[in-house]
Amino acid sequence: MEKVLVTGISGGQGRLLTRRLLENYEVCGVDRTPWESHPRGVEIHVVDLRKKKFEDVIRTEMPTAIVHMGFVRHFRAGQDLRHDVNVRGTKQLLDHCVNHGVQKLVVLSSSYVYGAFPENPYYMDEDSPLSASRSYPEIRDLVEVDTLASAFLWRYPHIRTCVLRPVNVLGYYVHSMIGQYLGEKRVPTVMGFDPMLQFIHEEDLSEAIALALEHNLQGVFNVTGPGEVPLHTAIEETGGSAIPIPETVMRPLFDRLFRWGLIPYPAGAIDFLKYPITLSGSRFIDATGFRCLFGLEEIFQSVRR
Amino acid sequence: MSGVSERRRPRAPARRGGVTGALGDLVGGLVPLSVRRLQGQIEERLRKLPTALNEYGYDAFGMRPEFLRTQSLPAALLYRHYFRVETHDIDRLPSGRVLVIANHAGQLPFDASMLGMAMLLEADPPRIARGMGEYFIPRLPFVSVAAARGGALVGTPENCISMLERGEAVMVFPEGVRGMNKTFSKRYELQRFGLGFMRLALETGTPILPVGIVGSEEQQPGFANLSGLASALGLPALPITLTFPWLGPLGMLPMPVKYRIYFGEPIEFEGDPSDEDAVIEEKVERVKGEIQSLLDRGVHERKGIFT
Repeated sequence: MEKVLVTGISGGQGRLLTRRLLENYEVCGVDRTPWESHPRGVEIHVVDLRKKKFEDVIRTEMPTAIVHMGFVRHFRAGQDLRHDVNVRGTKQLLDHCVNHGVQKLVVLSSSYVYGAFPENPYYMDEDSPLSASRSYPEIRDLVEVDTLASAFLWRYPHIRTCVLRPVNVLGYYVHSMIGQYLGEKRVPTVMGFDPMLQFIHEEDLSEAIALALEHNLQGVFNVTGPGEVPLHTAIEETGGSAIPIPETVMRPLFDRLFRWGLIPYPAGAIDFLKYPITLSGSRFIDATGFRCLFGLEEIFQSVRR
Repeated sequence: MSGVSERRRPRAPARRGGVTGALGDLVGGLVPLSVRRLQGQIEERLRKLPTALNEYGYDAFGMRPEFLRTQSLPAALLYRHYFRVETHDIDRLPSGRVLVIANHAGQLPFDASMLGMAMLLEADPPRIARGMGEYFIPRLPFVSVAAARGGALVGTPENCISMLERGEAVMVFPEGVRGMNKTFSKRYELQRFGLGFMRLALETGTPILPVGIVGSEEQQPGFANLSGLASALGLPALPITLTFPWLGPLGMLPMPVKYRIYFGEPIEFEGDPSDEDAVIEEKVERVKGEIQSLLDRGVHERKGIFT
């Protein structure tokens, strides 16, 4: 039986993926926080990806495949730490893959790496430029992770590397930035803007990651869900009420509130509330036959307050 | 896009009740019958749209028939009562993907909205004319949302291809501002056509429907276009007309000319979309020739500009 090592296994998405993978694989995982009452037979190692101890885990567990989703996606820990954990952690992990005979690697990137811009065409494919750093420098580490993994994909073709860029993930278990935003009772929006947003359910994303492993997928793939709605519809459907704020007020306000630690996202995130990032997921669907199980209404229902 | 969840009917808009509802009914009762009929017609036509909608009533690009239901009446009134649009051979509009190519004139794009209205009110089945807008539109608050809900997108090649792949009717004015802001002396003289639409038609195997719009060319006679000053001010054009800028923004409004819209035969082109300009231009010239002959016919047939 193949053995899969999951980084970030204690997070909501990691736990869901573990349950899905246990059908066909032996699973072990690493995380910076423990997973209490994890399933029997799943070994959890509490390590930092940047430390030598992580290499020891790979050396002893000898996984044939790695799913890399152990990223810091919030800003609570400080910019430098976040960048270091994500970028240097990924770099170390890629080196270990080469040195310890890992055959398959799935890296969970995101749709945010494309960046939200007024000139974004609808339904971008995987060859679109990764411009997020231009307007949202706080997430440039995620762009760097994606770029590192994509370069690795070409440099080591004997390792089946797959970079997945899913759209906004929602669900009961995951803690995503968008989930946190939609989870507010009063949700700030930019007055006069209402971009289309694509969503995917957390269970469907687990299925997509598992399919990527099962199909030995190699390449970069967008992963899309059942469809798209305007931001304000999403807010309404998840049980919040939108508070439109003029952009000229919103930017300086968010800047300050973020610096004082009163809101979890910096002003750069505002562009994501103005302009759409809609992706074409046809490459992934053609490669794996992926069909998502959860429709938009079920997705919103799963996080409805 | 790719969901297996079954497609449900868009939700019915909630009916207002109580005092505001009664007030609304009262005001509604004062509206002339012809206007209420026109509104009823818009609603009926919107229900027959072939465009696929999701369970929230939006298409893949944020177009929303419910928005058009509440916002189309002014344009429909212009169509019926101000420009008294006469539409010829609209049955030539093919079902499925099509590039609708027309002349562009009259300082403000009333020709685009009248062509859109013709396709909504007269075509069978009704279609939304998907507009290809200017690059600055997504940056403008409110305007960006209204454009998207009405079915328009930024005119990038990628957007045009996405819409055609979904079977939409995309409306393109290859003259752009060259046509819209030309002077009165050049009326019914087609300006240089951009080549982009032909490359997209070849790439996606989309038929081209030439359309000649008679009337818009006289709606707001321009005497000059201060393009130098316009670009210094960051505007697409700065026309000097009979009434603009002398009467302020109101001076941009069109005269009550009579519109005649002539639909030509759809043409299917074949060839390499990445051919050099000269080869593409030959094909474009054919479309231009078709539109010119539709215009000539329209100008010949009419008895006057306003009748």
